Amino acid sequence: MTDFIQLLFNGLVEGSIFGIAALGISLVYSVLRLVNFAAGDFLTLGAFTTFFFTTSIKFPFVVAVVISMVLGVALSLILEFILWRKLRKIRAGTLALFLVATGVAFIVRQSIAMLFGSDSRRFEIDQIKSFEFFGAIIPQAQLIVLVCSSIAITAIAIFIKKASIGKDMRAYSDNPSLAAVSGINVNRVIIATWIISGTFGALAGVFQGTVQGQFTNAMGLDLLLSILAAVVLGTIGDAYGALIGGFVLGIVMELSTWDALLGGIPSTYKPVVAFVVLVIVLLFKPEGIFGVKARKI
Amino acid sequence: MSNNLILDVRDIKVHFGGVKAVDGATMSVERGSVTSVIGPNGAGKTTLFNLISGAIASDSGTVAFNGEEIQNLHPHQIAHRGMIRTFQGAKVIKRLSVVENVMLGGQKNPGERLSGFFNPRARSRYESESRERAMSLLKQVGIDRFAEDYAGILSGGQRKLLDLARSLMAQPTMLLLDEPFAGVNPTLVEKLLEVLNSLRQAHQLSFLLVEHDLETVMNISDRVVVMAEGKVIADGLPNSIYDNELVIDAYLGTRKKKS
Amino acid sequence: MIAFIQPGFWVFVLAMAGIYGIFSLGLQVQYGVGGILNFGHVGTMALSSYTMAILVISYGVNFWIASLCGVAVAALGGAFLGLTTLRLSGDYFSIVSIAFSEIVRYVIFNSDGFTGGSQGSLNIPAKVEGDYPTYTNTWEPFIGWVKDRLAVIFGDNADRDMAMALIVWITLGILLIIVGRIERMPWARVLRATREDDDVPAALGKNVFQFRLQAVILGSVIGGIAGIYWALQFSLLSPDDFLTIVTFYGWMILILSGAPKVKGLPIAAIFFGFLYGGTRFFTFWPFSILDSSQRAYIRIMIIGLVLIFLMLKRPQGLFGKREEMVLE
Repeated sequence: MTDFIQLLFNGLVEGSIFGIAALGISLVYSVLRLVNFAAGDFLTLGAFTTFFFTTSIKFPFVVAVVISMVLGVALSLILEFILWRKLRKIRAGTLALFLVATGVAFIVRQSIAMLFGSDSRRFEIDQIKSFEFFGAIIPQAQLIVLVCSSIAITAIAIFIKKASIGKDMRAYSDNPSLAAVSGINVNRVIIATWIISGTFGALAGVFQGTVQGQFTNAMGLDLLLSILAAVVLGTIGDAYGALIGGFVLGIVMELSTWDALLGGIPSTYKPVVAFVVLVIVLLFKPEGIFGVKARKI
Repeated sequence: MSNNLILDVRDIKVHFGGVKAVDGATMSVERGSVTSVIGPNGAGKTTLFNLISGAIASDSGTVAFNGEEIQNLHPHQIAHRGMIRTFQGAKVIKRLSVVENVMLGGQKNPGERLSGFFNPRARSRYESESRERAMSLLKQVGIDRFAEDYAGILSGGQRKLLDLARSLMAQPTMLLLDEPFAGVNPTLVEKLLEVLNSLRQAHQLSFLLVEHDLETVMNISDRVVVMAEGKVIADGLPNSIYDNELVIDAYLGTRKKKS
Repeated sequence: MIAFIQPGFWVFVLAMAGIYGIFSLGLQVQYGVGGILNFGHVGTMALSSYTMAILVISYGVNFWIASLCGVAVAALGGAFLGLTTLRLSGDYFSIVSIAFSEIVRYVIFNSDGFTGGSQGSLNIPAKVEGDYPTYTNTWEPFIGWVKDRLAVIFGDNADRDMAMALIVWITLGILLIIVGRIERMPWARVLRATREDDDVPAALGKNVFQFRLQAVILGSVIGGIAGIYWALQFSLLSPDDFLTIVTFYGWMILILSGAPKVKGLPIAAIFFGFLYGGTRFFTFWPFSILDSSQRAYIRIMIIGLVLIFLMLKRPQGLFGKREEMVLE
């Protein structure tokens, strides 16, 4: 039982991070029809800028996180203006968008590697302090991550549902051409999308860095697989689906290591579990959990 | 079940989300006849078509083709059994030439199997025969002068002719035509009707047509099925449909909304 | 700067370019004809090379048979990928395909007692304890024999890389002829149709899923062949050889060549090889202020930039027609 509570807690923490990261990817896809392969490296970027501002410049942690989020947004917007906008103008196809996103990912990842090297880093925060709950160990840092990510998730859910720009985003992703003629400011929608994606990317990176304890420049890339699995699981382009997909995967991945389940699998195979869950779900529901009826081919 | 029915649809249903697109439709087509499904926009005609041809899966009900239940088959399996459909607005493969589009309709092409790689002679024999037949079909529908052009350059009406020729290439026993006359200029409508009539006489083909208005199909149909809001509301000879009050209501209802 | 004029290095680059060319041809079959965006292609290379290495080292299987088995396992991997994901719409397939190759690499990385784990093929348990774990015992004499024949023409310049380059490019040539023929078959016509629209070919009795599956398997077989040559070129394997980035090198060659036709592919492969190999020699200013690992980062950044530039300015590649790409 103690093990179960421990794993469930770990799964919730990891799931909330997956959820936040997946939400950004899913939102960008729903508005821009772009699978952002660079998203993983934006996570890494968020973690490393926070590391830089707390360690080298000695800013308070929260300030450093806010700066990282601003930088994530700034980079997202710069890319929007110099790349994505131009690609939309030349009506670039799926392949072109995929490859450009990958090119961006290469550049971001290698830049981080050049600036910070390939050593592993850790935040200067208290990673030891923890509570006990039915025998399970709940580290304070992880608890804070869970609380903060829950707040962020609630905030974004209310934003998308209530704010006028959030409604415009939904309208635009349902039907871009209709939304454009019905007076929705498309530019505003796109910029808002990048702001959310940039903020959440950096945030997820900081959270993941905190939870992992130490991280390298490959952190985001290693995580991308599970995040994309969450995105697809929740039906690509569906923001709430992405959140739920993230939580489902986070919890399933952690519980799969539970001894009580036929001994559990070695924890190094957790990303494989994400993939297996994804494949099983897709076999029965080819459009993801929340997708509409598929056509037969 | 009468042996004379080539197609027999019973109580078929499908819903999308909360919308019952087809809500228990029953209808049939006699061998060698032309049956038309008409109805106002949103009546579920095209959905019915997609259900029959297997493009979408039904929730319940049966579709029998030549006495065999086909509601669980995939579109290509239904096509193999001799039922070929066209598409609303006529879909062509834009990046293939017109004649290549038609050749796609050929059945049992040895060159369409990877193992055909090892049998180049059978492959090229079939291919040249197929090209010849495709050319004659194109001539029959009157667009053979475009044979070597990309299909993407054809006009809407020409695309419908191409779609028809491509379907005939598959040597069907039954053709499903989805709004074959919509948006086609009167000269082409004449041409299409002429082709359909000659096909009917020469090959004993059965037809199921979907159209918006009764007038269009009045003269060529042996039987007319009227749909509204996912249900069949009338079924009979074209003349009897003309005076049916339910039908008039269904159409007037939509006309009011339009104006 | 000395390395710039060393012919030996460029022969090595030529051999690598040929292997990448074969690899990319596997993508070409899938995308150029069927429009299938497979971003997990490197997984097929990992499967074939590791299968071959394990069979030879741990089970003492004959090298040639082991290679055939390797290619067969790559084909099975492609079949598995296709069967589970090809019914999904395009974007789904691409995402799941990336996961496929990452999972393959992940399993290889973590299965120490079987694949050698992070230490690569050197750590694969040998059949007879104490034996040196190598899979090139059969290949080396063969390539030596080819080298001796080459020495008749090139004298002392003939080396192992030159023999390798010759064999790889002959293979690529044969595969280009075969694939070129297949792509003129009606089989490819159906696939081209499915690229634009699923409904039309399905309504005409074509099993769209099966055609796509065949294209993925055929591409995986070709990727598997590339994997065998990859293993032979380096004489040892490591999970890090099969990062997703390798798939994108393959895509880069395909884009440079102008996807729908195979003709440009060899030239694109050489172009890529020299871009990839050439950036190794960025030892002049301003690159001279960087250390060697930083220069390695720069190399990948440059490849990323070239990819972006291509997609913005010449999406049709060096040899392709613009309409073909834009029509997508």
